[in-house]
Amino acid sequence: MAAVTMRLPVPRKPAVVRAPQGPEKHLVAPGDTITTDTGYMRGHGTYVEGDKLIASVAGVVERVNKLICVRALNTRYNGEVGDVVVGRITEVQQKRWKVETYSRLDSVLLLSSINLPGGELRRRSIEDELAMRDCLQEGDLISAEVQSIFTDGALSLHTRSLKYGKLSQGVLIQVSPSLVKRQKTHFHDLPCGASVILGNNGYIWIYPTSEQRDEETGGFVTNLEPVSMSDREVISRVRNCIVALVTHKLMLFDTSILYCYEASLPHQIKDILKPEVMEQIVLETQHRLLDLEG
Amino acid sequence: MQTSRTFVKRTRAGAVVKVVREHYLRDDIPCGAAACRRCPLRPDAPAPSLETQPGGAASSLCPGPHYLLPDTNVLLHQIDILEDPVIKNVVVLQTVLQELRNRSIPVYKRIRDVIQTPEKHFYSFTNEHHRETYIEQKKGETSNDRNDRAIRVAVKWYSEHLKKIEDEEKIQVIFLTNDRINKEKALEEGITAYTCEEYIKSLVANPELVDRLACVSDEGKEIESGKVIFPEHIPLSKLQQGIKSGNYLQGTYRASRDNYLEATVWVHGDAEEKEIIIQGLKHLNRAVHEDIVAVELLPKGEWVSLSSVVLQDDGQNEDDIETEEEKENILKTSVSKDMLRPTGKVVGIIKRNWRPLCGMLSKSEIKEARRHLFTPADRRIPRIRIETRQADKLEGQRIIVAIDGWPRNSRYPNGHFVKNLGSAGDKETETEVLLLEHDVPHQPFSQAVLSCLPKMPWSITEQDMKHREDLRHLCICSVDPPGCTDIDDALHCREIENGNIEVGVHIADVSHFIRPGNALDEESVKRGTTVYLCEKRIDMVPELLSSNLCSLRSDVDRLAFSCIWEMNHKAEILKTRFTKSVIKSKASLTYAEAQMRIDSATMNDDITTSLRKLNKLAKIMKKRRIDNGALTLSSPEVRFHMDSETHDPIDLQTKELKETNSMVEEFMLLANISVAQKIHSEFPEFALLRKHPAPPPSNYDILVKAAKSKNLEIKTDSAKALAESLDKAESPTFPYLNTLLRILTTRCMMQAVYFCSGMDNDFHHYGLASPIYTHFTSPIRRYADIIVHRLLAVAIGADDTYPELRDKHKIADMCKNLNYRHKMAQYAQRASVAFHTQLFFKSKGVVNEDAYILFVRKNAIVVLIPKYGLEGTVFFEEKGKPTPRLDYNNEVPSLTVEDTTLCVFDKVKVNIMLDASNIQHQKIQMVLVEPKIRGNDVPANLSTETSSNNEPEKKKRKLRK
Amino acid sequence: KRGLYRKRRGLYREGLLSDDGFRLDGRRPREIRSLRMRLGLFPRADGSAYIEQGNTKVVALVYGPREVRGPRSRSAPDQAVLRCRFSLAPFSGPERRRPRGGEGRGSDLALRLQQSLEAAVLTHLYPRSQIDVYSDGSHCCTGTTAAALAVLDAGIPLRDVVCAGSAALAEGTALTDPNGAEEAAVGPGLALALLPASGLLALVQLSARVPCERLEPVMEAAADGCRELHRALDRELRRSLRERHGEV
Repeated sequence: MAAVTMRLPVPRKPAVVRAPQGPEKHLVAPGDTITTDTGYMRGHGTYVEGDKLIASVAGVVERVNKLICVRALNTRYNGEVGDVVVGRITEVQQKRWKVETYSRLDSVLLLSSINLPGGELRRRSIEDELAMRDCLQEGDLISAEVQSIFTDGALSLHTRSLKYGKLSQGVLIQVSPSLVKRQKTHFHDLPCGASVILGNNGYIWIYPTSEQRDEETGGFVTNLEPVSMSDREVISRVRNCIVALVTHKLMLFDTSILYCYEASLPHQIKDILKPEVMEQIVLETQHRLLDLEG
Repeated sequence: MQTSRTFVKRTRAGAVVKVVREHYLRDDIPCGAAACRRCPLRPDAPAPSLETQPGGAASSLCPGPHYLLPDTNVLLHQIDILEDPVIKNVVVLQTVLQELRNRSIPVYKRIRDVIQTPEKHFYSFTNEHHRETYIEQKKGETSNDRNDRAIRVAVKWYSEHLKKIEDEEKIQVIFLTNDRINKEKALEEGITAYTCEEYIKSLVANPELVDRLACVSDEGKEIESGKVIFPEHIPLSKLQQGIKSGNYLQGTYRASRDNYLEATVWVHGDAEEKEIIIQGLKHLNRAVHEDIVAVELLPKGEWVSLSSVVLQDDGQNEDDIETEEEKENILKTSVSKDMLRPTGKVVGIIKRNWRPLCGMLSKSEIKEARRHLFTPADRRIPRIRIETRQADKLEGQRIIVAIDGWPRNSRYPNGHFVKNLGSAGDKETETEVLLLEHDVPHQPFSQAVLSCLPKMPWSITEQDMKHREDLRHLCICSVDPPGCTDIDDALHCREIENGNIEVGVHIADVSHFIRPGNALDEESVKRGTTVYLCEKRIDMVPELLSSNLCSLRSDVDRLAFSCIWEMNHKAEILKTRFTKSVIKSKASLTYAEAQMRIDSATMNDDITTSLRKLNKLAKIMKKRRIDNGALTLSSPEVRFHMDSETHDPIDLQTKELKETNSMVEEFMLLANISVAQKIHSEFPEFALLRKHPAPPPSNYDILVKAAKSKNLEIKTDSAKALAESLDKAESPTFPYLNTLLRILTTRCMMQAVYFCSGMDNDFHHYGLASPIYTHFTSPIRRYADIIVHRLLAVAIGADDTYPELRDKHKIADMCKNLNYRHKMAQYAQRASVAFHTQLFFKSKGVVNEDAYILFVRKNAIVVLIPKYGLEGTVFFEEKGKPTPRLDYNNEVPSLTVEDTTLCVFDKVKVNIMLDASNIQHQKIQMVLVEPKIRGNDVPANLSTETSSNNEPEKKKRKLRK
Repeated sequence: KRGLYRKRRGLYREGLLSDDGFRLDGRRPREIRSLRMRLGLFPRADGSAYIEQGNTKVVALVYGPREVRGPRSRSAPDQAVLRCRFSLAPFSGPERRRPRGGEGRGSDLALRLQQSLEAAVLTHLYPRSQIDVYSDGSHCCTGTTAAALAVLDAGIPLRDVVCAGSAALAEGTALTDPNGAEEAAVGPGLALALLPASGLLALVQLSARVPCERLEPVMEAAADGCRELHRALDRELRRSLRERHGEV
């Protein structure tokens, strides 16, 4: 018989200690007038009515020289060229795939933007078009990079690197894009035995670290060998750690995940999600991170 | 701050639902004391109503300044005392008001009126929403206990709160409760509490108030014998179960007028109305006339039939229960075995319908006694025991008494003295009594009602002119009876360019002043109609409106609602239009004046010519109407000539009808019909209309038989046939016969009633022979007209509608009330005439008059005296005299007394005198003088006196012969 | 139908406004009910809001802006498509109600919701996208407010926070923000969606007959309620913003 833990609701309190903040932030809600000075330029999250510059989203006012924009807390992912994203194929169309990347429109992966098996400089033939589904079909997860942005805001992706391609076995977590720290690399092999892809779009992929990459397949062959129990446990623990960090709104990057992982070790994997344990682990992580910063 | 109230409720469908309501608690509710500086005062709030130096009656119990805080029961039972001007500075809690509203709407309304009277210094404190006085219901606590506690908490709060006022003399709060346990608890909690009785008795300067205390001792105080007379009433919850399961029946209790040990209960079931007989004191079980009761049927073996015995409850001794039982036995033996009807006993009271009662005191025979019996004027109400110290003063006076309760061990209900109306027989007193007895609301208009009136001086504003036509240039005049101050209709008539005639009926725009839903409107709908008594008028709307702003007097600008037709010279309507307007009447004429103008050839001014035109049209219209089968009926109407000084009637006169009467009437009928058509076509679901159902053929039996006896045939198959045969029914030797027949026909008719068009499908007005009819032309004196005005105003887009106007159920309810009020007004009017007739005969002494027999009954004849329009019954059976041999023939109909046969329409001579033997029920007594009947002698001394009085009559008769 | 009539009449008799000017629940005519709100309760949705206004409880969720689902013809080349759904929980009334598909009352309320939001959301910033708004509660006005908050929570640009409020006319007095009992007695009256900063009206819906001359005060009462609501929301919004911004 399985034991079931029942929990009663308790008032939540902000758990994480904060370093003293800088000057009071300028917070606005939609409809608030930011300035009546006409010398400013209108940025994102604002609109002009008469002489007034008015906020259209709730968030912090940011001024860069003459440009005023309001950064909202949660938004959909706003892609930038060069970002690493994780996405899911939603549609197979002629010469392209539609990929859901938590952007406000589905991203596009052109047939010409992938490496096809069997050599890099191959011409795309009709046969390739017909065999698109063999490479990627609806529901497949991929990692890719933003190649360019269309005028309507949709992203164009490419997987022209061996890093990118179809993802096989692992765990996906979706977090707010603003919690993923921009770094040089978003592919990390954690020393604990799992690897993560921290997609800029807030999709995090955790998978077992493989010994060698099959370079010939172009990244479109899935490895369906059973993953060992120990690897699965590590992946689960990493997953729960990330959830813990995200719940407490800590930025995600390799060190924070690693510290959190280490802090979680005394606890059982399933216990990490209990609020009090979560709080404790995150606090520990945060202290270590602060120590790291000096 | 806020808390939520949760309670469980059962829906109509029977499902149990949980209702959660929010309940906000506030800290901005003032205590109402003028001296208090701590309570926040909103800028728009009225000034605190409790005085800084509480005046009012000095109390020996509490000499210092104090406020009173009564609980629900005190308010409910002692409202008569609280209304006395002596009692001031009372805090009425919201809890109390709410309980009160659930228990008695009339008392609730009365206390609301008191609160609104500034001189009384009553303050209603919203304790249920005050942060410091709100309490939760505890587990296991009944809501009654909870409310009692809430009241105590509020008292406590008040006394603490008032202590904080920085004045030399602290104001105390006195809690008044009659509940012993509540009082004990209050005292325990350190609250100054008295029973109402204690407090009132302590008022040194006002001993007379004690009499008005309701004697509702809730326990302990046994009255006289502790013997239990009546079985216990079953509690309401069990009654409802019983009614549902069919063990008990619910119905209205109607006491018998003649037999105090007998009553019937009208069971209002779904299928048919059933009547259950209740007999015997124990079975009647303290039910009072008009109560809603639960009845249990007795086994068939105990069923009885209505006895015909007359029993008056006149025992003075209260303990004679044994004799009661004897009397009950009398009832039983007199039952005829074959006509047994369902019989039952009262097991519980569902709703008491007690109202204040008029009547007189029957002083106790024991000297210095304080308890006396009170005999209500209405014989269906049992006598009531009251406690008073002023019995000597009240003897022979008409007084009002309220019933307080009827304990199981008491033969009579307990009550308390409310008001002295004046000495019996006095004109004012009797008028007051008849108004009260006929439930005619006649109190002066309350402050709240008067505040709805327009401010004087009043003038027509720009705003008023919206949606209004200016008809001030028209030559409009009004024609009314002499002395009429509430002129609600005016007419005009002119020729227009195309040769046709424009006729306008202009009705006072009362609905402009009475806006839906305000106090004035509520009061008017309650009154329903203006009641005209012989020397008094009970207005439906305040005098400012009825006799001034709404009265279409001459030479002033008045708002009107006009109905304007375009007619050709054959009086056919070509166009009808309705509009709100402003008019300026050129003349207010009496019927006689108008008639004179029409008749005199020398007058040719605008008014006269238009009157002539109107008259011409009216004649055509009347003829057409009669051709269609409208009935012209007659009823003897009399007017009293009043002495200008004493206002006593000195002579009576039957109303004289002139041509102009029927001219005005004709146009009013036309306006009513036009409006009825309009509102019904606009609002088929909720138009207020008036119908006059055709009487069932059996109603005419008596008329046909009576006519037959004079060899005349009356056809009754249709209104038209009836009208024609009535016209033909003339007898050259008997000119009054036709009038008599018409009077009889009137008696066969049904009552005309208001109804809501969406709830009925028979609209026909039988008497007027109109397929549709309503009342539009007298909004000053009839509320129905106001509703019709509102409907019409909405129909033509001149005014806004409101939800109640569009609710057919509401309209139907209103019709019910209006019909009731009209009926009561009629009865009151008749009673007033009867009373004045009595006064007249009192002054005139005994007279002999000619009369015609209208009806023949088994033991009496009903006669009409044309001279006075008076109707009376001549009995041939008298108490203490041997009954003459009576032989009733149903066929003719005739009655043979000894050897004299009396037929319908026979001319007789009667002796009229006032029977004042029962001061409470004075009546006109008639005795047959001619033809002479053996053993029915008129006292000789009277007949001599009458002969002189009757000289002219005799002469006339001789001439005729 | 008859039952409803009886119920209404019963409440009429009780009187919705005491002589001292208090309503059944202790409020004065121009006061709104107590208010509680939370943003971002549902991590799965792009934006979510929960509002409790008296006993009315509403959850609103926003998904999007995102790719248009279904036929491509639904997408607009120059602006985002706003799709609203309004559903009433089966337990949201005094008696448990059978859910009635997606149509019926839901769609009517959804239309009102859509109208109010379209006036506020700057849809032109998201061509060819779709924004789905789900509002789930027992009252359309509160639902609209909640939906606007959810949109705000989703980071979608808004002209203004839409505040919706209602007012009813009882015995000649305009009552702001009527509660269930009051609505049952006199009908829903007037619903208003206000853009408080500019004072523009996004929606006015009159569902009861109100006399012309009374319309003004009723509108005023409703607008008063909206403004009061806005003040309360604004306070709460800033508090939660500050809290969350401290965290990031």
